[in-house]
Amino acid sequence: MKYISDLILKMSSVDRRWIFLVIALSVILPLYFPLGLPIRPTPTTQQVYDTIDALPHGSKILVSCEYGPSTKPEIHPMVLSVLRHLFKNEHKVYVTCLWPDGQFLASEALDLVGRDEYGLTYGEDYVLLGFRPGNEAVVKGIVSDIRKLYTIDAKGTKVTEIPMMNGVNRFEDFDFLFSASAGYPGTIEWVQYAADPTNVPMSTGTTSIQVNEVMPYVAAGQVQGILAGMPGAAEYEALIGVPGIGTSGMDAQSIAHLVIVLFIVLGNVGYLIERNRSKKY
Amino acid sequence: MFGEIFGAWVAVFLTFAIFSFLYKDNPFYKIAEHIFVGVSAGYWTSMFFWTQIQPNLFGRLWPSAQYSDGFWYGIYNFFGMISSSIFPEGGIDKGHDMHLTYLIPFALGIMMLLSLFKKLSWFARWGIAYTVGMAAGLRAYGYLNSNVLGQIRGTIIPLADPDLPMFSLLGASHFNNLIILVGTVTGLLYFFFSKEHKGNFGKVTRVGIYFLMISFGASFGFAVMGRISLLIGRFVELITYSSAQYHHATLWVLVIMVGLLGYSAYNDKDNPETEGS
Repeated sequence: MKYISDLILKMSSVDRRWIFLVIALSVILPLYFPLGLPIRPTPTTQQVYDTIDALPHGSKILVSCEYGPSTKPEIHPMVLSVLRHLFKNEHKVYVTCLWPDGQFLASEALDLVGRDEYGLTYGEDYVLLGFRPGNEAVVKGIVSDIRKLYTIDAKGTKVTEIPMMNGVNRFEDFDFLFSASAGYPGTIEWVQYAADPTNVPMSTGTTSIQVNEVMPYVAAGQVQGILAGMPGAAEYEALIGVPGIGTSGMDAQSIAHLVIVLFIVLGNVGYLIERNRSKKY
Repeated sequence: MFGEIFGAWVAVFLTFAIFSFLYKDNPFYKIAEHIFVGVSAGYWTSMFFWTQIQPNLFGRLWPSAQYSDGFWYGIYNFFGMISSSIFPEGGIDKGHDMHLTYLIPFALGIMMLLSLFKKLSWFARWGIAYTVGMAAGLRAYGYLNSNVLGQIRGTIIPLADPDLPMFSLLGASHFNNLIILVGTVTGLLYFFFSKEHKGNFGKVTRVGIYFLMISFGASFGFAVMGRISLLIGRFVELITYSSAQYHHATLWVLVIMVGLLGYSAYNDKDNPETEGS
């Protein structure tokens, strides 16, 4: 017993760089050798899917991209999956960005899904309105008069010359909002200044770290479901039947979590052993 | 193709340079850190200028639709001689009409930049005052409507609804509704400081602390999940760039960087000043 206690104490005082190495291996190995762990959609992911699926064909959907390269692994797979779902159901997609780096990621996603996969036409089936600085003031601007805020799209084309902008003057002209958010400004600002005052339904996909913050809005019915981080993206990929980076990352995610939990348990057991020993002597 | 391969090598180098901080602070990390800050600042400035200031501010002050030979466009033409890409010939064509009221935010913006000069820095207060006042007004409404009223509405739930099951793991149930009620009330009472947290009141607020701790635990769990997701994203790219298509960029950069860091550590092993830095 003493041998085990000593071993645990030794392990709990190991150089932190060994822990980094073990975490790195626990992420890399499942990426090379996938385990194929099952992915089951949680009710909040299912709610997003059902809400989007229930929209009448040809609806006007606003997708807002509030993320950047640093949060791309979590949010980008969601945006790709949601766009695939929207284009499959023949909706018109309007994309805005509250973050400057959201613009080129949104452009990348629209080119991949809208242009390459579905062969859709820019300006008729989808449009990238782009980034405008101003945080919640931009959301307020879209709610009151989108044409005042966006006179040109991200490519510099006047919105008056974009066919699918006909009849779109303010936020209430959209049938649904999907906010792909990695922080401020993002989902919460859309709830506060757009969805709640106008009753236009919205769903969201957020980084894991934001989930706790946004979940109360989902529970209160102010947001129709949430895609929670990379697992949320993987679940949505499973629902639309197109596996992507979210799905391939889930094995690594699960194994890494298991290793972290083991380290936490080990650290706590080590702490308890040490405390008991110091009480004795 | 060259651009793509070069970009991959740069991405791999910067990724490993940032990861190298996990070993210890080193010049690779410093290089990546400085590049990140510089590129971010440059990118944001450029985006702000070309998506807002040029089209929406200058575009409203000197729109091409109302171009004339008068004094106002004379100023514009003078600026055009300095930079024709910002002030193109014949006015700015971004679909705006002339709105001279935009001179006010233009002036406030310049006043904020005056904070760089010690003697004139007080001008910046006007711009800051406007921003703070506008943000406070906007947020007061948003928070009251969504965070106060919306959240109160969300916690008003039936405790004796015959359609609800007694227990449910994820959906609505009598048990879950009771948890929401107890958690909300005890959590709020914990932040009531006009009465000392002793006796029965103390026991109730203690339950509130447990609910708060569970919430913090969930936040920690989600934070870990988020960081692992980002790590997966980097590793997926490193694996992609390790292929022959990118001339095995990942392997080469890893070997060179580890070699240089190892050589540096070997040279510094007898120097106590650099130990652990």
